[in-house]
Amino acid sequence: MVTKVIQIILSPVLALVVGVFFLGLARKIMARIHWRYGPPLIQPVIDMIKLFYQKSVSHGSMFDLGLILSLAGSIVVVLFLPFGKMCPLSDSGGLLVILYIMLLAPLGIALSGGQGANPNISIGISRKLILSLGYEVPLLLVLLAVMTRYKTISIMEVVSAQQSTGWSLISFPLFLSGISYFLILPAILGIRPFDVSSSPQEISSGPMVEYGGKYLALATIEHAFVLFISIALFVNLFLGGAANPVIFFVKMLVVFVLDLCINAVFPRFRIEQAIKYLWKWPTLLAFLGLIISLAIRS
Amino acid sequence: MSLEILLIIAFGGALLTYLVGKVSYKGRNFLAVAVSLALVAFVACLYGKAGEETFYYGFLGLNLALRLNMLSWFFAITIATVGALSIIFSLSYIRGREKTDFYFLIMLLVNAAMLGIVLAGDLVSFYIFWEIMSWSAFLLISYNKGPALAAGMKYIIMSIIGSVCFLVGMLSLYASFDTLNISQIASAITSASSGYILFILTVFGITFGIKNAVMPFHTWLPDAHSEAPAPFSAVLSGILIKMGTYGFLLLLYVIVGLKLFLNLGSGLLSFHSMLCFLGAVTIIIPTFIAMLQTDAKRLLAWSTIGQAGYIILGIAFGTNLALAGGIFHFFNHSLFKALLFLAIGAVEFRTQTRDLDSLGGLAKKMPVVFICTIVGIFALIGVPLTSGFVSKWLIYKTLILEGSPFLAFFALAGTWGTILYCYKLIHNVFLGQLPEKYKDIQKSPLSMQLPMVVLSLAILLFGILPGIPLKVINSIGTSFGFESLNVTLWGISSETGTLNTINIFSAVLVAGIIVWMLFRLGAKSVSVAQDDSYAAGAHAPVDKYHYTAEFYNPLHRMIKPFLRDIVDEFYYWIASCIQRLAGIIRHIYSGDVGYYVMYIILFLALLIFFQLKWKPW
Repeated sequence: MVTKVIQIILSPVLALVVGVFFLGLARKIMARIHWRYGPPLIQPVIDMIKLFYQKSVSHGSMFDLGLILSLAGSIVVVLFLPFGKMCPLSDSGGLLVILYIMLLAPLGIALSGGQGANPNISIGISRKLILSLGYEVPLLLVLLAVMTRYKTISIMEVVSAQQSTGWSLISFPLFLSGISYFLILPAILGIRPFDVSSSPQEISSGPMVEYGGKYLALATIEHAFVLFISIALFVNLFLGGAANPVIFFVKMLVVFVLDLCINAVFPRFRIEQAIKYLWKWPTLLAFLGLIISLAIRS
Repeated sequence: MSLEILLIIAFGGALLTYLVGKVSYKGRNFLAVAVSLALVAFVACLYGKAGEETFYYGFLGLNLALRLNMLSWFFAITIATVGALSIIFSLSYIRGREKTDFYFLIMLLVNAAMLGIVLAGDLVSFYIFWEIMSWSAFLLISYNKGPALAAGMKYIIMSIIGSVCFLVGMLSLYASFDTLNISQIASAITSASSGYILFILTVFGITFGIKNAVMPFHTWLPDAHSEAPAPFSAVLSGILIKMGTYGFLLLLYVIVGLKLFLNLGSGLLSFHSMLCFLGAVTIIIPTFIAMLQTDAKRLLAWSTIGQAGYIILGIAFGTNLALAGGIFHFFNHSLFKALLFLAIGAVEFRTQTRDLDSLGGLAKKMPVVFICTIVGIFALIGVPLTSGFVSKWLIYKTLILEGSPFLAFFALAGTWGTILYCYKLIHNVFLGQLPEKYKDIQKSPLSMQLPMVVLSLAILLFGILPGIPLKVINSIGTSFGFESLNVTLWGISSETGTLNTINIFSAVLVAGIIVWMLFRLGAKSVSVAQDDSYAAGAHAPVDKYHYTAEFYNPLHRMIKPFLRDIVDEFYYWIASCIQRLAGIIRHIYSGDVGYYVMYIILFLALLIFFQLKWKPW
């Protein structure tokens, strides 16, 4: 019981630390790829503390509550995700619940932004939702392939099955699904070439445009959580999870740096191009993965 | 005996309300609410009772019976509750319109007929109540005149086709088994050949499929739901189409039976998998069509078809989890879709429009309606802690574990489509900019808010404690011969995956409180007007801006060509062919007596010719 309570407190904190570290690292690595020096690693933390003390504007109660809902949703997802061996709420509904609580984050931001009554927000949210429909199609096929292959909806069992049989990413037929997941990961993270919803130069960061002060700080924390969740899900499902948090963190780091390299060199898709891409190659791979998993099973 | 009294209250109350309405409208309003609430209380008191009683002997040599069991009770309580709430909502919605007495009469009549359907113990009384329901629904769909007349016509034509199929099936059953009592047919049908059972399933499947708007029989629904008065749309979408669901349950699990149904045909060609496939198609296509709608009620109507797909998929899949999910989803859908139609009705009542492109920013003007709509769309999406989540979770889980990931994919992808149209609904009505003309809009009247609040509370209650309805559903499942589920108050526990809503609830609550405290800790924010927004140096338009209209324009452009309602076009083609044929036949009747004399002479000449040539007489 006590260990469970400690885990419940510890895992969101760890996720936050890792997420914020990734944010700082992202800026540093991007700068180096661009031949700049870049800000210090703890710059996001400094920014957040500063933002908390700054004045901000509110457009109404949904504007506040949506953001709170979004962040709360992300924190709850972390409780369902194994981090190393730590997974406080593993027995409350499994992967399907994760899939559904992950909805709260974009939905909360969308509701909050909606009350902002700013054209940039509406454009950004419309793009974000279309994009998520785009990546959700291959993502669902990927998750279904994993669940079909391991005959479970519990993410803990997927992880422990990989401890005995090896990573899903190098097993047949799940490597197809794994590749597909990696191909759509930039879209899930909302980084280039899929940063259509936040495109800073075009629609002033879309849904974020009305956020200032503590709103922006919370939105940054929320972004850190989303980074953590999407990558941790990949590590758990395809890279065998990990026996302890350190190895888990290293695996996450590798995936993230790979994605950063993609982010650094690609220009932005238009939303139609993004959908066309997402519904073509990743979907095809994920589809094949699911069909073969199903065939092997019976 | 008590069932007869129930129906007498229901039908008699409807007539009495009409008569009282001729004298005083206050008395009529009071009576309408009293009758509908009395029905709720009455049905609630019948919980757990079972039995069958004959209420009329010798109707063409058949006994008409009423019957109560867990299945009919669960449907009856849903009908009574949603019916009563729509009646309460109607009080202010319908005030000042024409023929309000007639409106209340038909509303109560539809409710009474639906109660009759679920309590019917034989197919004749089922059919009688079914027809009363269909025809009174037709009268209310056409209540608004104008385009509503065409919508009602479309509905009633499809409904009649369904009724004809029902008659064919009923007569055939009577010819084979010499009885129309449901339980007697159920025991006699085990000896029938599988070809005959398939025939029965198909004819009744068409009847119930039309009512439940299963593709390709869905075309009446979008018109009918969007043109009917809002409280009746809630009844239509919430419970009337669920009579098709009830019919399917009755057909598949009570009459034909679980074993026969699952073993009919083989592999992908079995009736069972065809029905699952139809359910999946019914989920995915309407969901995408719903995204493209600009009329709020039409959007919800297409969404109704999509959600009906989940119910059919759950019922047809034929495992205990799927059945529980399907029935639970029927119940949830009744709650949240009624809620959403009422909410849009409340908006329409104040703004006189339901055009998504011209509304906006009403959240601050109608806070209660807004919050209820949020609860409604969360349940529609299936966000955890609303009841919609639990039913969908049950369906997904069994689809995945039983090795049907493609059906699960359709169901899950449908959910993502649902998010898109739900957000469009809430954004375009309640969020975004408030147009100048709605600046002085008033809150909704209390009699509109009350039903919505009740429905929202029910959604949250059954989302956090799903064990309450699941216990009833579980006993329905066991009466069909399924294995019992391990239901707890907050979910379902089993070896293959547990659902624990109380854990999820506490986690979300605690996380929410922590974030909220963090939010409070920061420097205080200043509330600003909606036009005080940042547009990167450009001018932010003060009134309605372009991007709220055509919200999913890029997606719209991409998927529009694939989403023609071919079925509807096909039906219209048939209709126009028939019309042309009738037009040709009409020319016979020229109105000139000389022609008619000629016809008679020609006909006689023909008869004489036949007699001379072949001597048949």
